[in-house]
Amino acid sequence: MVHRRLLGILITAAIVAGHGLPAWGGDPDPEKKEASVAVRLYLSDGPLPTDDPFAPTWDTVPASEFQLAPQVHWPQRIQEVTVKSVKVRGLHNGQELAILLEYQDPTEDDADAAALEFMVGDKKSHFAHAQEMLQVEGGEVNIWYWKNSQGSAVDMNAKGFKTLHAQKHQDVSATGAWRDGTWRVIFSRPLQTSDEHDVQIIPGKWTNVAFAFWDGQLLPDGSVKEKGSQKAVSSWWYIRAEPPPDNSIYGYVVLGIAIAAAFEFFLIRKLRRG
Amino acid sequence: MKGPLATAAVILVGMYVVLKFVLPLFTAPLPASLIYLYLALTLSAILIFYTISGESLNAFMGPITRFLTGEGQVGMARTARMLVLILFPLLVGWQTYTRLVPSDQPPVENRTIHPAPPGEFVGLSNPYPKTPENIAVGKGLYAAFCSPCHGANFDGKGPASVGFNPPPANFRDPGTIAQLQESYLFWRIKKGGVGLPVEAMPWRSAMPRWEFELSDEWIWKIIMGEYDGAGQSPRTWEEEE
Repeated sequence: MVHRRLLGILITAAIVAGHGLPAWGGDPDPEKKEASVAVRLYLSDGPLPTDDPFAPTWDTVPASEFQLAPQVHWPQRIQEVTVKSVKVRGLHNGQELAILLEYQDPTEDDADAAALEFMVGDKKSHFAHAQEMLQVEGGEVNIWYWKNSQGSAVDMNAKGFKTLHAQKHQDVSATGAWRDGTWRVIFSRPLQTSDEHDVQIIPGKWTNVAFAFWDGQLLPDGSVKEKGSQKAVSSWWYIRAEPPPDNSIYGYVVLGIAIAAAFEFFLIRKLRRG
Repeated sequence: MKGPLATAAVILVGMYVVLKFVLPLFTAPLPASLIYLYLALTLSAILIFYTISGESLNAFMGPITRFLTGEGQVGMARTARMLVLILFPLLVGWQTYTRLVPSDQPPVENRTIHPAPPGEFVGLSNPYPKTPENIAVGKGLYAAFCSPCHGANFDGKGPASVGFNPPPANFRDPGTIAQLQESYLFWRIKKGGVGLPVEAMPWRSAMPRWEFELSDEWIWKIIMGEYDGAGQSPRTWEEEE
């Protein structure tokens, strides 16, 4: 009789344990890739290092790296870019966020520029300035633009070609510094704003981000090497602000261990009594 | 160790080894959930077999009971019992943790590579004859407009191809234009990335909407040059019958 009961208990335990099999690493993670696919804004205490792009704090933040492509989607195109990749680091403190873009550019020029682009709201947008998609109703994009000669950021929106415009309400700050062939540009903003045309960064929630860079080098004929649509771009990647730690998980873990230990205790006691 | 319990253990382990390591030598690896299902079926069969009579049940369960109660255990068996009793709650705790810990991986994207074209493009055929002259014109246009990304060798490795996500299509790959009809390419070139339906994630593609810059005639000739250059043939209706 005891054996019958024990059998029932063991089968139940096997089913429960087996249910967790995939969580034991049974299947490979299909999303595991070598290259970066996301920017992580790490949670930090206190003020963020938004003033000095070369502040030592930034070197302690893990970077994601993204390859860049020439803008070929619409004229004027270029087929080769100066900025071939960008390293991205991010921090937030629950109120404000700071994103550091680091990229190689052999010369410091007035027209050097960098930009971040975000989808706004729940509708997807094409990475090329949210141009119209023929079968999908798209949303607008929020663009944070920094240019060396201006020294500050412009908070912009676009929904389709030739619709790029600065917002009435400017929420973004930017600071850039060039050293030995490397640009470091910090963009900062409150995580959330009251402007419905702004991207809202909610800790724990994934949002789409893209990058653009212009090498503003003056060519011998007096023209600027990359300007307007002539730029290095990325398609959409992901960005997420790290959520605050959820310690309730550990409570459930302890509870799970306690229940398992109690199960063992009562099972063995029952078996010993026969 | 002999007896029904050991036999059952050998059968289960053997089954697992076959499913996990031997089968993949001949076919695609099985997903963990399917392996679990097969092992559960095997276990059920074993249990039904051993629980047919009270005698066989006792022979099967006896060692388990003795192991768990620890009666008369010494040495290795004693240590093994302690290990099992300690590890089981820890395993439950770990499993609870892995189930609850929030993922820091971005959402999984299942992009449809070759979605269905809109009706107006289905069944169109190339109106231009496949003459050496037309193919040569097509290759010239391809070199000017397409090769920076899709490559002078039609392999998706043009000088501007690095950094695109998704990467430019490799026409030499038998999984691309060889699987498609000319009408499909006509649609994709004419309408570009923004012409894709939602399941193909049109917001990611850098493929230009060439209808603003290229005539239909040029697009049809580019298609001809593309197939010829890549050494592929378009899929035709005849093959499907």
